[in-house]
Amino acid sequence: MKGKKSKVLAVLLALMLVVAFVPACAQEEPTDDPGADQPAEEEVTIKAAMVTDVGGLGDKSFNDLSYEGLKRAQEELGVEIEVLESKEITDYESNIDQLATAGFSPIFAVGFLMTDTVIKMAPEYPDTQFGGVDEFFDPPIDNVVGLNFKEQEGSYLAGVVAGLATKETFDAKLNPDNVIGFVGGMDVPLIKRFEAGFIAGAKSVNPDVKVISLYAGNFTDQAKGKELGLSLIEQKADVIYAAAGAVGLGTIQACQERGALFIGVDADQFETVPGSGDVMLTSMMKRVDIAVFETIKSVVDGTFAGGENQVFGLAEGGVDLAPYHDFDTKVPQSIKDAVAKAREDIISGAVTVPDAL
Amino acid sequence: MLGDIITPDLFASALRMATPLALAAIGGTICERAGVVNIALEGIMLTGAFFGTAMVLLTGSPWLGVIAAVASGAGISAVHAFASINLRSNQVISGTAINLLALGLTGFLMELWYGHPGTTDPIKVLRPIFNFESPGGGAIAEAWRWFDSIVFSHTPIVYLTILIAIVAQVAIHRTKWGLRLRALGEHPRAVDTVGVSVYRGRWVAVLMSGALAGLAGANLTIEQVGSFTENMTNGRGFIALAANIFGRWTPVGSYLASLLFGFADALQIKLQILRGVVSIPPQLFLMLPYLLTVIVLAGVIGRAVAPAAVGEPYEKG
Repeated sequence: MKGKKSKVLAVLLALMLVVAFVPACAQEEPTDDPGADQPAEEEVTIKAAMVTDVGGLGDKSFNDLSYEGLKRAQEELGVEIEVLESKEITDYESNIDQLATAGFSPIFAVGFLMTDTVIKMAPEYPDTQFGGVDEFFDPPIDNVVGLNFKEQEGSYLAGVVAGLATKETFDAKLNPDNVIGFVGGMDVPLIKRFEAGFIAGAKSVNPDVKVISLYAGNFTDQAKGKELGLSLIEQKADVIYAAAGAVGLGTIQACQERGALFIGVDADQFETVPGSGDVMLTSMMKRVDIAVFETIKSVVDGTFAGGENQVFGLAEGGVDLAPYHDFDTKVPQSIKDAVAKAREDIISGAVTVPDAL
Repeated sequence: MLGDIITPDLFASALRMATPLALAAIGGTICERAGVVNIALEGIMLTGAFFGTAMVLLTGSPWLGVIAAVASGAGISAVHAFASINLRSNQVISGTAINLLALGLTGFLMELWYGHPGTTDPIKVLRPIFNFESPGGGAIAEAWRWFDSIVFSHTPIVYLTILIAIVAQVAIHRTKWGLRLRALGEHPRAVDTVGVSVYRGRWVAVLMSGALAGLAGANLTIEQVGSFTENMTNGRGFIALAANIFGRWTPVGSYLASLLFGFADALQIKLQILRGVVSIPPQLFLMLPYLLTVIVLAGVIGRAVAPAAVGEPYEKG
């Protein structure tokens, strides 16, 4: 009797494990045979792949954006694509290993947390080309290109908008107090670039503005993001910029409940977060999709820039502000002009945006 | 400067953040009092959060969502009950399996039902119950702002949790059911000898803990953030386990311990505001709730004694 029960338990637990690991294997469109309809002149099909950070697909942020770049390459360049999601930091290495062994190249490692893994794995697969999104390699590695962004430049523009908007009255959510807020995910150099640019931009147009920065300590805890938002609003912040992944979604909720405007990050969050239009002033877009697509294109063209660290700033179209959408008619021309001027000054080099506090 | 930290929202925030911890902790208390370890609280909470959200997306009714969260919490805890009571398996392993299952299942169903991973569309949330006008002006208005924010600004489950803590406390310590429950965890053989089913008693306790952890999930999604994100519980189930121990396996103790953790978390957010004045890395503040957990569990509060038979499967002799 006891033996039979243990068998039942064993089967039960095995089933649980199978179900538990299904999503890890269930990528969207795993190599949907893109080569079939293409005029397949090339003898060797390029197989491009990416490994997500722990945020995974659906983060409405850099993982999704990288995937957008991959999908565009599938459509326009006819490459085969594959995505492996990392549920834990410990998945990075095995995911990269799996893709490299299966002959994928280029492989994109998405997120600065994966930098060390790439440094370790790339020399083991010298014939595979790697792209590190948000990763800087010093010293450079021959078969790796680092894809970095000047987040501080886009954030500077967001700061200009926030610094001017907090003095305005074009929306009922704006209060007379000269306070704006920043929500960060983890206190790391990457997020500091967002914060530093935002503060510099705000102070450039409104030197007396008080900017309060709060950090969540992770990129996933929405409830924490809401609490951070509520705390900022209690401190009279009326425009809040979040560079915090899913944490920012909670901050949007706080803005909607207690009345403050929000500036989104990475993607145009007006498009990616349904029902956020009433608080979404604009977004700081980081065009990871363009960087990924261009890198795949360089592999197809045979011009892959291995051993380089590429930086995409405002001038390269790597970062920019999204449209104002529902606020387009409300936002005064003076703000739009100030943003246009700041953009020109940064591109011309008249203004250099700090990348750290 | 101090006025930036000690605000009405500090205490209101502590109450809000304590609520999901407390519900899961009380669930853990009931379960462990009956002699079953439940480290699956994290996974059960996540399950409740997901099915609650799914029900609101389906029907548009937050209250039906709460019911779905509670039911799904009880449902998935039935797996734990079956494995650890009927099959007498190791309760820690069964709990771990459920934590893994919940993470995989919710992610899988998101793909299946909504066609994308990550975060669901926003749902209709439960609003704060009370909405009073501020009486008078001057000092009265200021006092009222504090009182209103701390006492009257909350959503239904926040109040319900306080009620649940008190009712569970009375039930465990003042009723016949409670006496039997405690006996199940101390000396199940004695319960069996007087002709009361150990299996049934433990099943009820595990299902109740699942329902409470499911309700905690509903609080997170249907009251706090208004959407579901994969792995959004972010370790709260494990902090709840610590709160249960800190609360010495009593519901009111669990609630107060959760309140302390909630307060520590709320305080660290407010302390970060000071960074403009004093240069301190935010990590120091972020550590606070976890540091507190370690200090508490390391025994600063004195020795906490677990129920004697907790973790031991009962075999009819």
